[in-house]
Amino acid sequence: MNKFLGNKTAILLFILPALLLYTVMVFYPIVQTFFRSMYEWDGLSEGTFIWFDNYTRLFQDSLFFTSLKNGLIFAVIITVTQIGIGSILAFAVADAKFKGRKILRISFFIPVVLSITVVCQLWLSIYNGEYGLINKIFEAIGLEYKQDWLTSSKSAIIAIAFVNAWQYMGYHFALLLAGVKSVPEQYMEAARIDGATKLQAILKINIPMMAETYKFCLVFAITGGLNAFANMYIMTSGGPGTSTYTLTYLMYRSAFRVGEFGYGSAAAAILVIECLIATLIINRLIARERISY
Amino acid sequence: MKKLAIAAMSFCMVFLAACGSAGNNEAVNDKAANEGNKETATNAAQEETKPEEDAKPVKLRIYAQYADDDTKLPYDYAVAELKKEMPNVELELEVQAQDDGQKLKTYAATGNLPDIFQAGLDIITTFKKSGNILELDSYVDELGFKDKMFPSTMNTLVADDGHTYAFPYAGNEFVLLYYNKELFEQNNVKVPTTYDELMTAVTTFNAAGITPMSIFAKEKWPTVALFDMFVTRNEPQGILKLDKGQASVSDPAYKEAADKIIELVKAGMLPKGATNLNYDQAAALFHQGKAAMFLNGQWEIAESTKQLGDKAGWMYFPGKDAANYEASKYAFSGGGGPGGYAVNPDTKDKDLTAKVAAFLSLKYAEYKYTERANPLVSTKVDKAIVTEYPPMMKQLSDDIAKITSTTSFAWGLSDAKFKAAIEDASQSLMTGAYSAEQFIEDVSKAVPAAK
Repeated sequence: MNKFLGNKTAILLFILPALLLYTVMVFYPIVQTFFRSMYEWDGLSEGTFIWFDNYTRLFQDSLFFTSLKNGLIFAVIITVTQIGIGSILAFAVADAKFKGRKILRISFFIPVVLSITVVCQLWLSIYNGEYGLINKIFEAIGLEYKQDWLTSSKSAIIAIAFVNAWQYMGYHFALLLAGVKSVPEQYMEAARIDGATKLQAILKINIPMMAETYKFCLVFAITGGLNAFANMYIMTSGGPGTSTYTLTYLMYRSAFRVGEFGYGSAAAAILVIECLIATLIINRLIARERISY
Repeated sequence: MKKLAIAAMSFCMVFLAACGSAGNNEAVNDKAANEGNKETATNAAQEETKPEEDAKPVKLRIYAQYADDDTKLPYDYAVAELKKEMPNVELELEVQAQDDGQKLKTYAATGNLPDIFQAGLDIITTFKKSGNILELDSYVDELGFKDKMFPSTMNTLVADDGHTYAFPYAGNEFVLLYYNKELFEQNNVKVPTTYDELMTAVTTFNAAGITPMSIFAKEKWPTVALFDMFVTRNEPQGILKLDKGQASVSDPAYKEAADKIIELVKAGMLPKGATNLNYDQAAALFHQGKAAMFLNGQWEIAESTKQLGDKAGWMYFPGKDAANYEASKYAFSGGGGPGGYAVNPDTKDKDLTAKVAAFLSLKYAEYKYTERANPLVSTKVDKAIVTEYPPMMKQLSDDIAKITSTTSFAWGLSDAKFKAAIEDASQSLMTGAYSAEQFIEDVSKAVPAAK
């Protein structure tokens, strides 16, 4: 092994393909985004270098703060729902006494494999103000609580976030279930002998020992929330007005609707920084020491 | 010796015969050559009359609208006519995406622009700067395209800078407020001529469980059109004046329009979830008699006539009062601008491509005029109308000469930043939970400086 590690040429040869791919597909576009964010550029012409003017404009733009706020709301809702409910389901399904485990395990994962367009169209029907399922249920039980779920500027972002939370909850459920199962049985057995209840065992043994899995889920949920685009693009086109804009949507609007690719790149750069900060904080706070069983 | 002499003589004779025969052959060849020349000359004459028949096959990529009968049938007709006129030209169609020109701009950025593409004002403005659109002035002169235009539609051919970038086919189109005559009669509602009457109609229809006005506000342009219609009661130039930086959105005409829309929306003018309704859903409400009014362009005439027959009509937009109604009756919302089939400056044979683009636009307009009962085309058509105008189109056709002013559709606005802002803000107006002050604040940031 030491002999192999001593062969720098071999290491370089093995690493090079992946490194090249990463550089071309990830690193170079990110660098380009930062570079282009300092340009007044329509995506076609040469462009003018304007230093940090796009950032100055961005921080004075109310739409930027709306987008930032919506991204955070979206991230919080999906994180709480996906990881919260995903955990409950994972612990339930992991219990050997739980009936119908197999069918539930498959059912929870089905939305994940559906196309996002299909899911959005499904929920568009459910949310419809005139004939949607939710309003019809309220009507059937005699409640006068008919809502325009997607056309109210306050509720639209929450309604959309819930769709994403519903679709990808199964993904987090699968990860967490794998996490639960990886906790050695002897720990749980020891807890039972010591008289711990099921809930105590989960809180004191399972969850702390699944810190690595939770860290992974948190990074995915939070960055996924901050990056949200497809759901609002399909369901509301960012509307009503600009009320369901996120930073990704602002980037899309600036680049493709307004033709300001430089400004769009600045929004994208902020998004990259935001996701990076979120990931660093999560890494710093959760599972700092690797747990080995 | 005698033998030698005979042999020598025979050789000479064979040689002479050979020479003689060679001479004859030359004559034959000459004749053949002459015949050949004659044939070539005949071919040349034939080529003069049918220049394209023997021409080298050419394949051109075209990026064009091809989504419904209104776009598919005229395109197919134009292509079939092109096949007769230029059989050597083959068009490879790529259907235009409804994506604010993203795909086309990406093509331009990657040097993969089709030879011919449909361009509106937004694309023309952007591509002009980046050199991705061919200036067609010389072809307009060469092909006599100006002579084929109506004087009133010259604005669709010539851009603000005085140059031509696309061969147009669509004329100046209009936004219309359609209504269901039967529903108005059944509910004893007068076709509104003033805002007060419009409010009465809204409350009466709501009380009867009928949606007063259907609008597909998920697409943002109809919301801009509705706002523009209200503005034109006081400012005939409507949103066009804002686009040119010649007015402020805080001017009374714009503020009053926003206030009035908010008031009507709060009174229940629009269906629940209007900002999330697409065309199919909104049109279904009107076509099925569940909505009394419907806002769309004049191209809706065909479908509404098909679905509702004589029950469908369009009304002049109500005014502040009777006097304002009369004064602004012919101030129409909508209009046209430079656009049509444009040419990639890097196409292999610019002359041919420009010729094809011009031909397609003429034939496209021809079909719309003769077969789709649409008189709103930009070019003159010398063929007889096959499909008679439905009554609503006849009414519009009779009114065209009386129209005092037009504005612009959202897609005809020249300032992309203003366009995006007015689209977003107008859609917010349709929720009723957005104040006129917010509207003014959001739009004023994007109104360009005076041009």
